[in-house]
Amino acid sequence: MSARNGGTELDLSWISKIQVNQPAVLRRAEQIQARRTVKKEWQAAWLLKAVTFIDLTTLSGDDTSSNIQRLCYKAKYPIREDLLKSLNMHDKGLTTAAVCVYPARVCDAVKALKASGCTIPVASVATGFPAGQTHLKTRLEEIRLAVEDGATEIDVVINRTLVLTGQWEGSDFIKTSTGKETVNATFPVAIVMLRAIRDFFWKTGNKVGFKPAGGIRNAKDSLAWLSLVKEELGNEWLTPELFRIGASTLLLDIERQIYHHVTGRYAAYHDLPMS
Amino acid sequence: MAATRERTSAREIFNTLEYGPVPESHACALAWLDTQDRHLGHYVNGKWLKPEHRNSVPCQDPITGESLTACLQAQAEDVAAAVEAAGTAFENWSGLPGASRAQHLLRLAKMIQKHQRLLWTLESLVSGRAVREVRDGDVPLAQQLLQYHAVQAYTQEEVLAGWEPMGVIGLILSPMFSFLEMMWRICPALAVGCTVVVLVPPASPTPLLLAQLAGELGSFPGILNVISGPASLGPVLASHPRVQKVTFCGAVEGGLRLFIQESVWDETMRRLQERMARLRGGRGLDGAMDMGTREAAARDLAQRYVSEARRQGAQVFQAGDSLFPPTLVSDLPPASPCTQAEVPWPVVVASPFRTAKEALAMANGTPRGASASVWSERLGQALELGCGLRVGTVWINAHGLRSTEVPTGGCKESGSSWHGGPDGLYEYLRPSGTPARLSYFSENLNYDTFGLAVPSTLPAGPEIGPSPATPYGLFIGGRFQAPGARSSRPIKNSQGNLHGYVAEGGAKDIRGAVEAAHQAAPGWVGQSPGARATLLWALATALERRESALASRLERHGMELKDAKVEVELSARQLRAWGSRAQAQGHVLQVAELKGPVLRLREPLGVLAVVCPNEWPLLAFVSLLAAALAHGNTVVMVPSGACPIPALEVCQDMATLLPAGLVNVVTGDRDHLTRCLALHQDVQALWYFGSAQGSQFVEWASAGNLKPVWVNRGCPRAWDQEAKGAGAELGLRAARTKALWLPMGD
Repeated sequence: MSARNGGTELDLSWISKIQVNQPAVLRRAEQIQARRTVKKEWQAAWLLKAVTFIDLTTLSGDDTSSNIQRLCYKAKYPIREDLLKSLNMHDKGLTTAAVCVYPARVCDAVKALKASGCTIPVASVATGFPAGQTHLKTRLEEIRLAVEDGATEIDVVINRTLVLTGQWEGSDFIKTSTGKETVNATFPVAIVMLRAIRDFFWKTGNKVGFKPAGGIRNAKDSLAWLSLVKEELGNEWLTPELFRIGASTLLLDIERQIYHHVTGRYAAYHDLPMS
Repeated sequence: MAATRERTSAREIFNTLEYGPVPESHACALAWLDTQDRHLGHYVNGKWLKPEHRNSVPCQDPITGESLTACLQAQAEDVAAAVEAAGTAFENWSGLPGASRAQHLLRLAKMIQKHQRLLWTLESLVSGRAVREVRDGDVPLAQQLLQYHAVQAYTQEEVLAGWEPMGVIGLILSPMFSFLEMMWRICPALAVGCTVVVLVPPASPTPLLLAQLAGELGSFPGILNVISGPASLGPVLASHPRVQKVTFCGAVEGGLRLFIQESVWDETMRRLQERMARLRGGRGLDGAMDMGTREAAARDLAQRYVSEARRQGAQVFQAGDSLFPPTLVSDLPPASPCTQAEVPWPVVVASPFRTAKEALAMANGTPRGASASVWSERLGQALELGCGLRVGTVWINAHGLRSTEVPTGGCKESGSSWHGGPDGLYEYLRPSGTPARLSYFSENLNYDTFGLAVPSTLPAGPEIGPSPATPYGLFIGGRFQAPGARSSRPIKNSQGNLHGYVAEGGAKDIRGAVEAAHQAAPGWVGQSPGARATLLWALATALERRESALASRLERHGMELKDAKVEVELSARQLRAWGSRAQAQGHVLQVAELKGPVLRLREPLGVLAVVCPNEWPLLAFVSLLAAALAHGNTVVMVPSGACPIPALEVCQDMATLLPAGLVNVVTGDRDHLTRCLALHQDVQALWYFGSAQGSQFVEWASAGNLKPVWVNRGCPRAWDQEAKGAGAELGLRAARTKALWLPMGD
């Protein structure tokens, strides 16, 4: 993690002065997707970089220790060794940024990662995920328990009631949504968030991270997200300390693209290891 | 080998996360050029034309200098051949029902869709513009243009009844045009039934490709003809008797002026520079570029401008390192020549302002009048600026949006022609039954001496017949005043006897009249349409009260008394008709792909100068005056030469009824006064109903400030007919359009 967000005095006028030119934001969103593409070895390199930003996530009702174990293994070895060797990237220790699970599964995740000698952090969703409509007492207890179990990052669900009544808090990262809504990470929303991060940095010198989550399924999308962050905030933010992508099936698609880049062929389902 | 290279690169790129090139292959463009053996001719009447003994001009890649093809330089005979072909095609094309033309345009749109890759690759390769601009902007818009105009053609018989296509249209394009600019103009022309001859500068393959695509549709080969040739052929095209109208498109994309309010100067400059630093410029055919590169001449122009600006003490910020990166110039002293000069691409000049009023004055203070955008969160303020800016298009909180339904044009030195929307169609139409424009161009007209000297006047004999004293003087600023030259001219009646004297107006008086009209303009524009209507109606009543005096004046000039009475009656009626049309006309357009309305506003031109015809001396005078005033203009009128006195009679009523300076009437030598008005840089439009020679002079001289003109080329007009005296044509010409874009969203 980068330096914690030291925070500032809450100045509500910063929030009330915000104006968003929505049609212009929509146009900018289209523009970035249309104009910033990468091909060939650039695409391969960017995709590998994208892997290092992924919070490999499983948030299903039927999660058990066995699929968590598989997930953690995949987090440590996200891309097949021989593919990495062809790109001369096998010795970089490429892993995903973190593993993201429900609080009850944090133990299993920590155990699995320890067993493979892997140091990537375990992130837990907490605070009544995904709706956040539980008592403050239980929400705080959830966080405490998750941290006790070994989670070093917490995805907090903000209390929307407070937001809608104008009562704000600070954080180290901002996330587009829980990923469980009908509309999750879209470009126009992201542009507004990134500009807010930039303005906050200009005003206070604090760097806040950004995490889009939900609906990011293909490699092409992930490249667009990297472009967006690069365009709006610059290369400084393109590090796992400040940028994460919450995704589950994305990794598989990235691996398929890498496979195609290296071999020139389209992989079959069974060619690549499950996660 | 490849594997080694790949291994090192991917590893490096993993750390730097640079973008890398996304090259678009231009093989298809080269393949097409090969079909013509890299030697393009002209495309006339559905076939390639390669006349012998012509020079060729090479066409080069603007960045690498690689030779792409050679293009023939046309000569006068080629232009004539093209016009002939277009003329023949016009007979058929204009006679078709609109639905058939619509079908044809849709087929052309499909053809473009099938060959779009070739089109955008060729355009990007030759012009250096970013391929994504052509691919995602120009080509889809070209298809939409064809579709929109197909719809207009389909409904033409009902909606545009009473209008007919003009004939053969000549289109002259300047060296830095884009093929989209060409499409904007040929689509409306073809849709309404005209046929087109395009003169492109040499080394422009894209229009030739387009002509080939159109020609390969099979039917109606001669409707679009393209000749590539030097600028000197422009006059040849323009003076060809079968060409009814010439449309000229000058260099379009220039730099920008940015006006930023002082209180947000620092923030805005910071964000602007931050964003500029991310712009990628380079080879147009690279798909990841924001901006393409122009040829050396354009870059030199920009370089000179920037060096000059630096010398005058400006701050210059340049982002990136492409051949000529986007440049931001600020702190330029207001009095420096660079502030007045045209800003070249890709430079932006930023200037601060204190209040909105100041911003308006600064923005209106340049001779350019094409488009502007206003960025403000305060709706009232944004709209006020939007309405005050003297430009053809205003965007609120957006910039550069274009759509086929919205008219695009300008005023002042951005010219007065329109494309897109309904205005674009009228450019190529004339009222049904208008005789074709015959050639009236006289080689012998001496522009330096026309109207320069004023013949001296001498006493002309006794005034005969009963007459109340004719009103004497020039009617300027709401009262009669003596002419600067202190001289008069006699007016003879139909028997050749002296009717009376009128003042001899001259250059000084014209100057005074124009000034008075400008002073009265803000007040008149501010009047509500209802107030204007009331005044015009009051004038009509006054005219009726004066009927016997006016009729007797007209009778002295050989009219039958009963005809004279009819003329007076018609005049009053015209005043009332125009009065009732003095409603603010504008309407809301629905634009595809835009959430939010676009307003098509009709605004006054400003000071309108009118040289009235000799036929219908009272009726024409009153009709023209009424039309101009109803649309919010103020006027300077030169009445009929042979019979100016009825006009002066009316002035007596105007002195009491109308605000001072609203209408100014100057009598005198018509050619001299015409000269003064045509050469005046602060007259916004000039209508001339006089001789053929005078018409030619007016058109030539008005190029000084590009004011729109309307001339009769020496042909009389039937002012008593509804369509001529009070019809749509006068209404169209008496005002200009402004498109106000209001994108919505929160």
